[in-house]
Amino acid sequence: MKKIVIVSVLTSIVLIGVILSYVGNIIGDDMVNILSVLAAIVILGLTVGVGLKYVNQMKNDKAGGELADENWDGIGEYKNNIPVGWGVSFIGTIIFFIWYLLAGYPVWSFSQIGQYNEEVKEYNKKFEEKHKNMTKEELQDMGESIFLVNCAPCHGVTADGMGGKAADLTKRISAESVKYVIEHGSNIGLVGEGIAMPDRNGLFNTNTGAPLTDEEIETVAQYVANGFVGKKGAEIFAGTCAACHGPDGKGQPFVAPNIRNFTPELVQAVLEHGKKGAIGTMPSFRVEDLRLTETQQKAVGTYISNLSSEE
Amino acid sequence: MGEQSQQTAPIQYDYTVAKMFLVSTILFGIIGMGIGVFIAFELAFPELNNLFGEFGTFSRLRPIHTNGVAFGFTLSGIFATWYYVGQRVLKVSMAESKFLMTVGKLHFWLYFITILLAVVTLLSGLTTSKEYAELEWPLDILVVGFMVLWGISIFGLIGIRRERTLYISIWYYIAAFVAISMLYVFNNMELPTYFVTGMGSIMHSVSWYAGTNDALVQWWYGHNAVAFVFTTPIIAIIYYFLPKESGQAVYSYKLSLLSFWGLMFVYLWAGGHHLIYSTVPDWMQTMGSVFSVVLILPSWGSAINMLLTMKGEWNQLQSNPLIKFMVLASTFYMLSTLEGPIQAIKSVNALAHFTDWIPGHVHDGTLGWVGFMIIAGIYHMTPRVFKKEIYSKKLIEIQFWLQTTGIVLYFSSMWIAGITQGMMWRAVDEYGNLSYSFIDTVEVLHPYYTMRAIGGAFYLVGLFIWAYNIYKTFKCGRELSDKEINVNASPMAS
Amino acid sequence: MFHWLEQRPFFFTIGVFMVVAFAGLIEILPNFAEASRPVVGTKPYSILELAGRQVYIKDSCNACHSQLIRPFKSETDRYGMYSLSGEYAYDRPFLWGSKRTGPDLHRVGNYRTTDWHENHMWEPTSVVPGSVMPSYKHMFSNTVDVETAYAEMVAVNKVFNVPYNKPIKMKDGSTTTVKLPDSLDEAKQEILKEAKEIVKDMKNQDVKDMVEKGEIPEIVALIAYLNSLK
Ligand code: HEC
Ligand code: HEC
Ligand code: HEC
Ligand code: HEM
Ligand code: HEM
Ligand SMILES: [Ca+2]
Ligand SMILES: [Ca+2]
Ligand SMILES: [Cu+2]
Repeated sequence: MKKIVIVSVLTSIVLIGVILSYVGNIIGDDMVNILSVLAAIVILGLTVGVGLKYVNQMKNDKAGGELADENWDGIGEYKNNIPVGWGVSFIGTIIFFIWYLLAGYPVWSFSQIGQYNEEVKEYNKKFEEKHKNMTKEELQDMGESIFLVNCAPCHGVTADGMGGKAADLTKRISAESVKYVIEHGSNIGLVGEGIAMPDRNGLFNTNTGAPLTDEEIETVAQYVANGFVGKKGAEIFAGTCAACHGPDGKGQPFVAPNIRNFTPELVQAVLEHGKKGAIGTMPSFRVEDLRLTETQQKAVGTYISNLSSEE
Repeated sequence: MGEQSQQTAPIQYDYTVAKMFLVSTILFGIIGMGIGVFIAFELAFPELNNLFGEFGTFSRLRPIHTNGVAFGFTLSGIFATWYYVGQRVLKVSMAESKFLMTVGKLHFWLYFITILLAVVTLLSGLTTSKEYAELEWPLDILVVGFMVLWGISIFGLIGIRRERTLYISIWYYIAAFVAISMLYVFNNMELPTYFVTGMGSIMHSVSWYAGTNDALVQWWYGHNAVAFVFTTPIIAIIYYFLPKESGQAVYSYKLSLLSFWGLMFVYLWAGGHHLIYSTVPDWMQTMGSVFSVVLILPSWGSAINMLLTMKGEWNQLQSNPLIKFMVLASTFYMLSTLEGPIQAIKSVNALAHFTDWIPGHVHDGTLGWVGFMIIAGIYHMTPRVFKKEIYSKKLIEIQFWLQTTGIVLYFSSMWIAGITQGMMWRAVDEYGNLSYSFIDTVEVLHPYYTMRAIGGAFYLVGLFIWAYNIYKTFKCGRELSDKEINVNASPMAS
Repeated sequence: MFHWLEQRPFFFTIGVFMVVAFAGLIEILPNFAEASRPVVGTKPYSILELAGRQVYIKDSCNACHSQLIRPFKSETDRYGMYSLSGEYAYDRPFLWGSKRTGPDLHRVGNYRTTDWHENHMWEPTSVVPGSVMPSYKHMFSNTVDVETAYAEMVAVNKVFNVPYNKPIKMKDGSTTTVKLPDSLDEAKQEILKEAKEIVKDMKNQDVKDMVEKGEIPEIVALIAYLNSLK
C-alpha cells in the first residue's frame, strides 16, 4: 500500500513537472488554467494509484467468497459485497452533485452571461486603474499585440501587406493606390462623415487650368508614393492637391487626410469605416461591433504610425 | 436452477455469422485506423492534403475515420462477439433455428453494404454534418434495417434460450440495442428536400430541428453514441472474455448490478456536457456537468469488478498476453471515465472544450479500452471458431507492447497539446489584450501532432500484426480437438 | 430477489428503456418551445448563401471550425459578441462543431473579406504562413447544385415556415426581406445576380469567366456564406 501511494505521488509530481515545463509561463493567475492543470494531475494520479492498488491485489491477495449457484458457459459469480471505497466514493459524488447544483452553480440562479458581464466589468475596472494615461511607448507596445492578433492575417506579421494582398503599412501609400483614388475619388470617412475627395473630373491642376492628364496623374502618384520627392510631381501636387491635403501633404482637419504619414487618427478612421480600394477590401473593426475598443484602436494606430515613421 | 442437468451432450455452437463479423472487424479496423493515421499526419504535414485532390483533404476524411472506427470496427466487434457470446451464455446454438441463422446472415450483409456505402457517400461529400450521424437519410434507413435485424437476433436467441437467467453480458447487449435504436432514430429525423419539392438531389435532407434544438438533440445522441457504442457493449465483452479466459468467477454480483443500473440511469443525463457555455439553457448544462461526475462510480464499478476478478492471478497477467490486453483495457476505461467527468466540470471545460485534449480523451477511451477489448475478444474467439491454435503468442506480445506505446504517445501528446492550446487562447498580455494570434496557437502544436501521428502508426502496425496472426492461424495453425478447445486460456503456439 | 428482472427479458428491456428515455424527456423537451425564436437581425439565407452553406457541409469545414462564441472575454475579444440562441434559428443542421483546429467562424463575415477568402481558400499558407488548413482548389472549378439549394429553400419555407418573402426586422430598426424565387428559372437568375456581386471583388479569371457563362463555382457560394456570418 505504501509503495502504491509513493508511486502515484511520484507520477503526479512528474506530471506536474512536465506540464509546468510546457505551459508554466502562460498559466498566470487564471483560475481556469490552474484548475485544468490540477485536473490533469488528478486524472492520471488517481487512475495510476487505484490501478496499482488492484495490481497489488492481483499479486498478493486471493480470490474468495461465496459462489452463486448459477454459472454461464462456465463463468461463475461471487456473492461478494461491493467494495467499501467504491460505495463511499459514490456517496461522495452524490454530495458533490448536491453542492454543485445548490451552491456551486445554483440551477435557478446561475447565468453564464452574468458571469461574463462580471468578468468584463472587473477587467475594465482594472484596466482603468492601471492604464489611465498611457504614454506613447505603452500605446505602441499595446498596439503591437493587437496588430499581431487582428491584422497580421491580412497585412502580415511585418505589416508589409504580404506581396500586395493588403496595404503595405510600412509606407504611407503606394502609387497604385494614389492613382486609384484620383481615378475614382474617395468617400470612406477618413476625415469625417461625407467629406469626400472628387475623382479626376473634379480635380483641376491650377497650374495648367485643366483636368489632370494621365501623365500628370502618374507623376503625382509617384511623387506621393516616393516620399514627396521630384520637381515635376511637386508642381502638380502644389497645383492640385495642396489645397486640401496641405502643401506638405500632412492634411487638414475636416478637409483632407494626411497622405504623407500614418497618424493614429487616420488609422482609427479606417478601422471605424473599413476601406474598399485598389488592393481589396479592408474590414471595419468598429467599437460598436465589439471588434476593438477606442483605446485599442488608438494603440494600434500609434503602432502603425510609428512603423512608417522609422523609415 | 435445474438446467444444469440438461448438459448431457455439449451443444455444437454455430459460428458462421460470428466469423463473418470477425473478418469485417479486422477489415474496418485497418481501414478506419489507416485513415486515422493519415489524417493525423495531415495535421502535422499539411502538404499531404493535396495527395488525392478533393478526396484527400482532412475534412473529407475525418468523418470516414470516425464512422469507420465507430460503425465499422467497433460495431463489427460488438456483433462478432454477440454471435459468439450470445449462443454460449444463453446455451443455445444458432444452428437450432434456421430463421435466426437467416436473420444473422442478412444482418451481416445489410450491415456490410451499409458501411461500404457510408464510405462511398462520405468520400463524395454527401453528409449531414452532425457528428457520428453524418450519414444521409437513405443510409439511415439501412442502419435502422440492420439494427432491427440485430434486435430480432438478440430477442430470438433469448426466446429459445436454455439458461433461464440472463448473464451480465446480455444485459449490456440489450441496453446497447435499445439505446442505440432509440437515439439513432430521434437524431436522424431529417426532411429529404426532394420529396417536398420534386427538385434537386434525392440524397439531400435538412435536419428536422433547428439551431440550439438541433444541438441539444445531437449531443443527447452524440454523448450516448459514445455511451452505447464505445462503452456499454464493450462492458458486455469484458464481462464474458476476462472471466472466461482467466477461468475466474466474477468478483461481485452486487457490484455488477449496481453498476449496470447506475450507468443506465445516469448516462443519458450527461449529454449536456458537450454543450457547456453554449446557447443551451444554463440549467441543462449544469445537469450535464453534475451527472457526469456521478457517472464516475458506475463506470469504475465495472472496471473494478473486473480487476478484482483477477485477484491473486498475477501469474496469468504475466504469462497470458490476452489477460494483459484486458487488464490494461479496464485501466484505460477507468482513466477515460475519470477524465471525461472532470472535463465536464464547467471551469475545466472552459479550457478543454474545442482543444486537442478532447481527442486525447477520446482516444485513451477508444484505443485503450474499445480497441484492446475487441482485439482481445477476437483473439479469444479465433481458436474456438476456427478450431485452430493461435499462430503466435510472441506476436501478440509484440502487438501489445507496440500498441501500448502508441496509446501513451497519443494521449500524452494530445494532453499537452490541448492544455497548451487552451491556455494560449485565453492568455492576455499586461494590457489585457490577447497575447497570441490564432496561428501562434497552431504552430506550437506541430511537434505534438507529429508525435500523435507516430503513436497512431504504432497502433496501426499492431493491427496489421493482429490481422497477420489471425490469418496465419486460419491458414496454418495447428488443428485442435474439442477437448483442447474447451479450456479457459486460449491455446496459442509460442 | 434481484434475479426477477434478469429472468424476464421483456420486463428487463422495458425497464432499461424507461430508465434510458427518462432523461431525454426532461432535458430536451422543455427547450423546444424556447429556442427557435430568431433574434432581431437574423434573416434566412439567400439562395447563394444557402448553396455556400451546402458547400461548407459537403467539405466538412465543421471538422476544424466551430461557430459558437462562448461568453468569455478571451473569445469575444478574438471573435466578437458571444453567440445567441436565436441567431441559429434558421440553421438546419446547426454547425457549432466540437473542435477548433482552426478559429471560430461564427462572425467571420465581420473581419474577413471576399478577396482574403479567395487567397486563403486557394492556398491558406499564402496569407497565413504556418497554417495547417488544406487548400481547397477544387472549389474554384466545381460548380454548385443550384437545384438542390433551391429545393432546400422551398422545403424549409413550406415545412418549417422559414420566413422568406416576409419583412424581417434588422438591428438598425429597418426591415428587409429575403426573396424566395418563384421558380427554378428565377432561382437561377437570382443566384447568378448574387454571384456577380461577389465576383466583382475576386481576381481569379477562371472563376470570373465561369460566372460570366452562368455557372456558379463553389468558391463563390462559399464566400457568400462566409460573408453572411456576422
Ligand atoms: C477637394 C479636396 C481634395 C483634393 C483637391 C484632393 N484630395 Fe485627396 N482626399 C480628400 C479627402 C476629403 C480625402 C478622404 C476621402 C475619404 O475619406 O474617403 C482624400 C483622400 C486621399 C487619399 C486616400 C488616402 C487613403 O489612405 O486612402 C489619397 C491617396 C489622396 N487623397 C491623394 C490626393 C492627391 C494625390 C490629390 C491631388 C492630385 C488629391 N488627393 C486631391 C480631399 C482632396
Ligand atoms: C481581411 C483582411 C484585413 C484585415 C484583417 C485587416 N486589414 Fe487593413 N487592409 C486590408 C486591405 C485589403 C487594405 C487595402 C485597402 C485598399 O486600399 O485597397 C487594408 C488597408 C488598411 C489601411 C489603410 C491603408 C491606407 O493606405 O489607406 C490601414 C490603416 C489598415 N488596413 C490597418 C489595419 C489594421 C490596424 C488592422 C487590424 C486591426 C487591419 N488593417 C486588418 C485588409 C485587412
Ligand atoms: C485541417 C483543419 C482545417 C480544415 C479542414 C479547414 N480549416 Fe479553415 N482554418 C484552419 C486553421 C488552422 C486556420 C487558422 C490559420 C489560417 O488562417 O489559415 C483556419 C482559418 C480559416 C479561416 C480564417 C478565419 C480567421 O478568423 O482567420 C476561414 C474563413 C476558414 N478557415 C474557412 C474554412 C472553410 C470554409 C473550410 C472548409 C471548406 C475550412 N476552413 C477547413 C484549419 C482548417
Ligand atoms: C464517465 C464517462 C465519461 C464522461 C462523463 C465523458 C465526458 C466527456 C466530455 C466532457 C467530453 C468533452 C465534450 C467537449 O467539451 O467537447 C467528452 C468527449 C468525448 N468522449 Fe467522453 N466521457 C466519458 C467516457 C468516455 C469513454 C469511455 C469514451 C470512449 C471510449 C468517450 C468518448 C468520447 C468521445 C468520442 C468524445 C468526443 C465527442 C465529440 O466529438 O465532441 N468518453 N466526453
Ligand atoms: C490508429 C489509431 C488512430 C489514429 C491515429 C486516430 C487519429 C484520429 C485523428 C487525427 C482524429 C481527428 C482529431 C482532430 O480533429 O483533431 C481522430 C478523431 C476521432 N477518432 Fe481516431 N484515431 C485512431 C483510432 C481510433 C479508434 C480505434 C477510434 C474508435 C474506436 C477512434 C475514434 C475517433 C473519434 C470518435 C474521433 C472524433 C473525436 C472528436 O471529435 O473529438 N479513433 N482520430
Ligand atoms: Ca442521418
Ligand atoms: Ca468532435
Ligand atoms: Cu459525452
